[in-house]
Amino acid sequence: MMIDAHVHIGKSTRLQIDVDGEHLVRVADEIGFEKICCTDLTALFYDMHEGNRLLYEEMRKFPDRIIGYASLHSTRFGEEALQELERCANDYGMRGLKIYSTPQMTIAEPATIPILEKTVDLGFPILAHATPLECEYLMAAVPECRLMMAHAAAQPYAHGDWNRAIMAAKRYPNLYLETASSTIDTGFLETCVRELGPEKIIFGTDIPLLDPYFQLSKVRDTNVAADGLKKILGGNILRLMGLA
Amino acid sequence: MVLDVNAFIGKWPYWPVSISSPGDVAQKLPEWGIERACICSTRSLFVNWDDGNIEVGRAAREYPECFIPFACLGTFELSHRVGGHIHDLALCRAQGFRGIRLYPQHHSFHPLFESFVDVICEQAAALRFPVLLSMRAIMNWGVPSLDLSSMFGLIERHPRVPWILSGVNYLHEIRASVAYLKKYETVHLETSCVMGYEAIRKLVEECGHEQILFGSAAPIQHGRANLEKILHARISDIARESICCSNARRLLQL
Repeated sequence: MMIDAHVHIGKSTRLQIDVDGEHLVRVADEIGFEKICCTDLTALFYDMHEGNRLLYEEMRKFPDRIIGYASLHSTRFGEEALQELERCANDYGMRGLKIYSTPQMTIAEPATIPILEKTVDLGFPILAHATPLECEYLMAAVPECRLMMAHAAAQPYAHGDWNRAIMAAKRYPNLYLETASSTIDTGFLETCVRELGPEKIIFGTDIPLLDPYFQLSKVRDTNVAADGLKKILGGNILRLMGLA
Repeated sequence: MVLDVNAFIGKWPYWPVSISSPGDVAQKLPEWGIERACICSTRSLFVNWDDGNIEVGRAAREYPECFIPFACLGTFELSHRVGGHIHDLALCRAQGFRGIRLYPQHHSFHPLFESFVDVICEQAAALRFPVLLSMRAIMNWGVPSLDLSSMFGLIERHPRVPWILSGVNYLHEIRASVAYLKKYETVHLETSCVMGYEAIRKLVEECGHEQILFGSAAPIQHGRANLEKILHARISDIARESICCSNARRLLQL
């Protein structure tokens, strides 16, 4: 079973995206992804309440295919954000949290800590678009939370430095690496698996931003053993979300 | 047949890459589905372009079925200048090179403010010698990159050069490239860093398939993964074949 742990839904002019669940499920069918884990762009960049509700509506249309991440457009909303997480878990049936960091508005700050603690209570893994340094800060603050470093640092703010991501993940048992990126460096996955084991690697594509076929190939067309690939391509995210 | 217009031999200084020697690359490329590749040495980028070209010439002689040599050209250092050296593309061609590559971001020159670049471009236009102009060697934010305006400023100054735009990634970079592909039939785009969703299809829809070339930046980048996005793109088989091979064959006069 292949599961894509990093998918976006909704609208963003900045990212040139306007897609619904029907489109994404059709793409998933073509590639062979049984489930896709989605975050709504409105929730991530504008209004968490509106965006998470929109995602819930798409989840209801495709209950067996779309797994929802609750998203917070900022970690600075205190109790309101915690209540939104409760709503996403209890009313919407979402299974994880997505948070997004930029150098101008970093999530590596005290305001994020109660949110991480809440995810521990809810059993949510967190997909964090954050740098290795930021992830280390967050893991040091709440070591029992389960954090997936989106793009494994292969994103602009982290300068594509996946080697640094591996160093961070080695230090923290609950820090995982997610694979989606526009970098396709030879040996990336083999190095991750050698240093961390396949249990700490989560497959994602970042559709509809990135081409899914090269994302899949850079994971599947490697020297990683079949049982390890099975975990990376779906088993790990199911386990983290309590769906295994 | 898959012909890659942008591959490398040589070591990668930023992190370990196990495939580096000409023999390693010649063995790995077919495993990824790439039969032939235009190569340059990473030594040219990071140490000395002259020395890298010697490696490339040697590799092409050793693996003639696999490698098509491109010469990397850069500034003449003081020691060169004393000897009165000058870039000579006719000599490059006589030595077996089928095109050249420019990496201003690695060689400390600005492509619009160095006279030797204009000399190279005038020769390339006269000889119809392909020039690969690199925006970034691979898709990674940690490696140096060339700014968009410099890239297109040079093309505007020398539109008759058979250009290969290389390392283009972001949407605004692709949009600018499309504009130049439409404006000049001499301008081509290689795909090594084109990673966007449905990007290949959109490129073909916007400017046809004749000026798009498959490039991988292998073995630094994963060659098979880079090929997969072409093989699965929603384009005609004719377009796919053109991108994978025949456009490059035509450009390289093979």
